[in-house]
Amino acid sequence: MRSWGRWRKRLVEALKHVVMGTITGLVFYPFVMLIVVSFKNTDQFMHNPWFVTFPLHFANYPAALELLVRYAANSVFVSGVSCLGTVFLAAFTAYVFARFEFVGRQFLFYLIISLMMVPGILGLVPMFMIVKRLGLLNTYWALILPYIAGGQVLGIFLLRTFFSAIPSDLFDSAEIDGAGDFRTFISVAMPLCKPMMATIAIISFHGTWNDLIWPLVVISDDKLKTITIGLLAFQSRFQSYGVAVTQYGPLFAGYVVAAIPLLALFLCASRYFVEGLTSGALKA
Amino acid sequence: MGYGEVVDAASSTKADIVRGIRACRFYVYLLPTFVLLGVFCFYPPILGFLGSFYEWNGANVKIWNGLDNFAKMAHDKVLIASIGNLIKLATFTLITSITVPLLAAELIFNLRSLRAKYWYRVLLVAPMVVPGMVTLLLWQFIYDPNVGLLNAVLGVFNVPAQRWLNDPHLALYCLMFMAFPFVGGITVLIYLAGLNSIGQEVFDAAKIDGARFWQRFFRIDVPLVMGQIKLLLILSIIGVLKGYGAQLILTDGGPGYSTMVPGLHMYHQAFEFDHLGYACALGLALFLVIITLTYLSMKIRKPETE
Repeated sequence: MRSWGRWRKRLVEALKHVVMGTITGLVFYPFVMLIVVSFKNTDQFMHNPWFVTFPLHFANYPAALELLVRYAANSVFVSGVSCLGTVFLAAFTAYVFARFEFVGRQFLFYLIISLMMVPGILGLVPMFMIVKRLGLLNTYWALILPYIAGGQVLGIFLLRTFFSAIPSDLFDSAEIDGAGDFRTFISVAMPLCKPMMATIAIISFHGTWNDLIWPLVVISDDKLKTITIGLLAFQSRFQSYGVAVTQYGPLFAGYVVAAIPLLALFLCASRYFVEGLTSGALKA
Repeated sequence: MGYGEVVDAASSTKADIVRGIRACRFYVYLLPTFVLLGVFCFYPPILGFLGSFYEWNGANVKIWNGLDNFAKMAHDKVLIASIGNLIKLATFTLITSITVPLLAAELIFNLRSLRAKYWYRVLLVAPMVVPGMVTLLLWQFIYDPNVGLLNAVLGVFNVPAQRWLNDPHLALYCLMFMAFPFVGGITVLIYLAGLNSIGQEVFDAAKIDGARFWQRFFRIDVPLVMGQIKLLLILSIIGVLKGYGAQLILTDGGPGYSTMVPGLHMYHQAFEFDHLGYACALGLALFLVIITLTYLSMKIRKPETE
């Protein structure tokens, strides 16, 4: 009887792995397929679309890159500037709220936090009108400024909690040594909150890199398109209707290219990200 | 405070002024943030609220028309169709996005090997690095009537090819299943965090009392992760009600109005027909629905546990 019990336990354990393995497989299969197809030419795709075929056509990648590089550069610039702006401004604002006493401090802070409750849908149309009236349509600023403004809210919230937990003696001693407000912020406060700032940077970069509707609304100039909406233009180049065949190889190579910057970011910053999440965000 | 009294009145006010001016610097520090927030975060919702009461085309026409925009909604056939679609979509999404990740989290949580636990967690989060747009376009390919993956798989079982996103009866269901297998992103991690915070002694006690797995699941695990369930419920409600990216890219609300949702309707009204006032009113209505549902979900109490 005992050995039957042990076997049963093993069986259940194996069954769990089978179920989880299947689920993870289903999650991953589309991406595996993406990479497999990205190395095919049209002929290989037509005859054997689902499995690896040789020779691998690496040339799909330069072909895709040539068309996407402009969009990718735009996205790197827009997301990079937005991300730096968000992190720096959010950190400084959070520092001011956590460190100094002034009239209306609580009120102003809650005013900012209240924005977390307002879903963007109410503001989309008016925001377009504001950007249009400011003459920013079809400029990078139409993306960057709203991204910084919107991204700050969560950042200020998380970082203020973080700064409040640091003993103020640390900042006081810097000030006694003659450091001004900015100097104290840059030399004392910022190094302490690196993991938190990295977390906010990732959230911001991930969000702006993926944003779809806002760039679609404010950017129509092909030279300024970000990668998300650039992919649509890119896709229509390879997609053909009627007799001709869509060239899935270079098309999918392009999709892979579009994912690489995010992958790189996560690989570089995942250590900070995990640290940041466990150190502050969850306890906040 | 002893020496404060010996300082004469004149220098005391002077010190006050200096201190006052020095205190003003905090407001200067906050100025850039508040200028940005004011223009791009506070002003748009206010303008959207006011805009709902105007006939507004974004250029020369801006006429107060009271509640006409809201009255118009009652007769807007596209809106009514879109609400029906949204209800179906939301029901399906809420159910799947709350239950399936919980079951997956239970599976991972109950694995014995720590290493396997770690890897399943990593693998489930990893797809987040793929841009949403790429995922959308991939699904477009999966659903492609001619060379798509889904028809190819069904072909193996001799199921006739379907037109999926081009079929008005199937398109909405296709959009629902784009989240398949419904465990993407951080939902599983949120549940796992909840399960991990339940003390081991609780599980031990249940074991000693002879509780079977399902008894433990419903009497202990579910009540104790109610906080996480609530959080995910709120996030999914907000996400599904305001989301229309997939519709915008893949179907544009069609075929017919079979995949139209209120958010996309608002987008069309604003950016294709220049009915900005009506679009604002639609935005306001959606906003009110989202706020109400969020508020109601926050009111859900934990079931009484001993």
